[in-house]
Amino acid sequence: MAIVAHHSRFSKIAWPVLAWIVALLFFFPIFWMLLTSFKTDADAVKPEHLLFFTPTLENYANMTENYDYWRFATNSVIASVMATAVTLFVGIPSAYAMAFNPSRSTKDMLMWMLSTKMLPAAGVLYPMTFLTKNILGIFDTHFLIILVLSLINLPIVIWMLFTYFKEIPRDIIEAGKMDGVSTWGEIREILIPLAWGGIASTALLCFIFCWNEAYWTVRLTTTDAATLSKLIEGNRAPEGLFFGRLSAVSTAAVGPIVVLGWFCQKQLVQGLTFGAVK
Amino acid sequence: MSNRTLPRLLQTPAVLLLLIWMLIPLSMTLYFSFIRYVLNSLRRPEWTKPSISNWRGFGNYEFVLNNKDFILAIQNSLLIVCSILFFTVIFGILIAVLINKSFPGRGVVRVLLISPFFVMPAVNAVLWINMILDPVLGLQGLAVGGLNDAIEGLRNAPLVGGFFSLWPDFAPISFRATQTSAIAVIIMVTWQWTPFAVLIFMTSLQSEDQQQKEAAILDGAGAWSQFRFLTLPHLSRPIAIVVMIQAIFHLSLYAEIEIVSRGNGNKNLPYLIGEFANNNIGAASATGIFAVILANIVAFFLLRMIGKTLME
Amino acid sequence: MGRILLENVTKSFGDAQVIPPLDLVIDDGEFTVFVGPSGCGKSTLLRLIAGLEETSSGTITIDGLDVTQVPPSKRGLAMVFQSYALYPHMTVRKNIAFPMRMAGLSQAEQDKRVMTAAKSLNLVDYLDRKPGQLSGGQRQRVAIGRAIVRDPTAFLFDEPLSNLDAALRVGMRLEISEMHKRMQTTMIYVTHDQVEAMTMADKIVVLQAGVIEQVGSPLELYRSPCNLFVAGFIGSPKMNFITGTEAANRHAHTLGVRPEHIAVSTQTGAWTGRVSVSEHLGSDTFLHVHETGLADTLTVRTNGEISFKHGDIIHLTPREEMVHRFDAAGLRIS
Repeated sequence: MAIVAHHSRFSKIAWPVLAWIVALLFFFPIFWMLLTSFKTDADAVKPEHLLFFTPTLENYANMTENYDYWRFATNSVIASVMATAVTLFVGIPSAYAMAFNPSRSTKDMLMWMLSTKMLPAAGVLYPMTFLTKNILGIFDTHFLIILVLSLINLPIVIWMLFTYFKEIPRDIIEAGKMDGVSTWGEIREILIPLAWGGIASTALLCFIFCWNEAYWTVRLTTTDAATLSKLIEGNRAPEGLFFGRLSAVSTAAVGPIVVLGWFCQKQLVQGLTFGAVK
Repeated sequence: MSNRTLPRLLQTPAVLLLLIWMLIPLSMTLYFSFIRYVLNSLRRPEWTKPSISNWRGFGNYEFVLNNKDFILAIQNSLLIVCSILFFTVIFGILIAVLINKSFPGRGVVRVLLISPFFVMPAVNAVLWINMILDPVLGLQGLAVGGLNDAIEGLRNAPLVGGFFSLWPDFAPISFRATQTSAIAVIIMVTWQWTPFAVLIFMTSLQSEDQQQKEAAILDGAGAWSQFRFLTLPHLSRPIAIVVMIQAIFHLSLYAEIEIVSRGNGNKNLPYLIGEFANNNIGAASATGIFAVILANIVAFFLLRMIGKTLME
Repeated sequence: MGRILLENVTKSFGDAQVIPPLDLVIDDGEFTVFVGPSGCGKSTLLRLIAGLEETSSGTITIDGLDVTQVPPSKRGLAMVFQSYALYPHMTVRKNIAFPMRMAGLSQAEQDKRVMTAAKSLNLVDYLDRKPGQLSGGQRQRVAIGRAIVRDPTAFLFDEPLSNLDAALRVGMRLEISEMHKRMQTTMIYVTHDQVEAMTMADKIVVLQAGVIEQVGSPLELYRSPCNLFVAGFIGSPKMNFITGTEAANRHAHTLGVRPEHIAVSTQTGAWTGRVSVSEHLGSDTFLHVHETGLADTLTVRTNGEISFKHGDIIHLTPREEMVHRFDAAGLRIS
């Protein structure tokens, strides 16, 4: 009696072929964007040049001229790097406290932090504009964008760090206590070296989220602190005239992040599900 | 002083920051939602300052509830979120099962599949609405045009020409129109978030108990029964997580709607708030409070679920 | 010096009191073992002494100083953890030197003490490896080395051998005992394994549900257990308990007879039963005897030459002077 399912020759070939087709379909829009970025604007909309065309780098060469790309890119880098740094700086001690010195309120505290993430941004849009423009005078500044990006990512970062820290054996932390480490020493000498991988991938994800953020960066900036999201959003309807150059600037905006993302797929799962799926 | 005080104090900066971040703007929204407050009014200039003397009680809430755009926005929010959830979960499970077995190039397939998730929402929307879905210049327009040309050619062909002359010309669909722009948003967000679902389901599938599967095979279970009675129940928690996390993200969907249609007939709650906020701050704030309530209902279930699984 | 005194110490987690008020004296230089089934509070008690848990009430005194509110590192104690708790990102050398670095000792002094410890623990060749590259036994030695260099007033061991395989466990047991003989420092050792307790301890503290059942030397506990729990816990195989008329005849509620105190005969004896299983250990044979009318099973320990089959009828005679008697409350009748 043959109870073990024998894979037919057909399914042995069809299975991977199907998987490849699905993967290529999903990747196609990105590929198409990349391909179009090497076409002139005129070629980009001509059916006869769909696949066969003379590649050109002029779209990339003219990115500064057409879109002032580097200014927006610089703003994105400043905002994302600084916000990631601030978030970690505030988040690490906090996650440490909750992971290794939990009190009865720790669980509620974590839940509450996560609930702030769920506050719909739109609900506080006007007060934020009002506060930053009329009262604090920090509208459209790097400071504001860094602050806001830090705040919206802080709950997720604390949660992620918390799940990584929880994996460090308690014994090691306690051995440190017996060996006479101070609280700061504990963080510096034991926690950070041990959780280095987790901290790095948390930072990477936080950076990606900051880079892609498209609500506050669009609504709380005009020019000075405007990021790439604002740039793309501002050029949303080119009426088909500038597909080539738009593709180039879009590719430049997402390329580095997509590549970064490839390196932290695994951490993404653990981080976004807070360790509930492993 | 106990030796736990300092470590516990370390969480205060984060707590304080989040508390301020949550309370100040939210209480302002709450306050604005109870007063008459507009940015420009020639007739009633006193309403352009947020003052307690412009108290309106629940007037803004009544105004919003009686506004047909509000009902539309709620409907649209639900339509968009539910459709995206439905498609991402279905596609996510199918694809996760598809690539769960090892085959040549699986690593590359994974990398290709996950890529859309990291594309920034603004680029996602611009890419799809212009280069792919545009009825004239996008791939859709080009494909429909090509198809029509082909049919045109066949009409003049001998023998089959009579048959094809019965065919009408195909008309491309404009996804910027009122009825279709929500579909465009659903397509692009599904494209972006299916990879997320795949990634989580795949991770979960890899932790499936193989001995249990072998036992099922010995018990005579076929491939479908294994999927139905072992794999699907195993995936129930990841499915719940995928649904809840996406619900949170998609209820506040903004960039895609702004870029696709500027909200013409396709507003969701955040978009409607943005629109009100161009002038009627009172109404925008009242809508904001509704959005907060809606999000809290969702959050309540999510937090309870996550809380259970996390703190063991 | 290293005299540790616990007075009225209690510990609660939330509403659950895991250690009811407890008094204990550990004398200087004594090797004390806390033993009991898992969940009996022995590890909690050790952690209270270490300062890793805060007492809910009561005082802990070390050498006359009240240390109840003193942080762990200032109590002058060193601890060896069940999981060894080595710092995986540091070499063996750095692991051992870590407490000295934290205490601010000079580099020269650190190097000197690391070398001394490494020599006595056979770790000299491994000083530049990371813990991940060591075997379980070597990791255990590093953990001990890290404790030794601090020159503590007392060593605390939290089930240090339970992650080692059986052969290594016996070896390490001996090494720790030798270390104690050599250093004459107070040591407190937690284990659930009564063999470790019996072989290593000067003084055994038997715990159950946070309560000290009996304190005494290994032989005191073996010869005169003060209640049924201690009687059942100390000794292997377990003591046989007999209730009913046989116990009543000896004016007790329960009789306790250790397997090694029952003589076996094929002809005659006080009790009769049927052999169910006989386990041959080589040096000894354990007979599990049914149908005695005394208890479900009686375990009997005889010499390794004796051989019975399943179903054989045998006769058993306890050594009367070795029969322990307990009253209805489970307490020893002397």
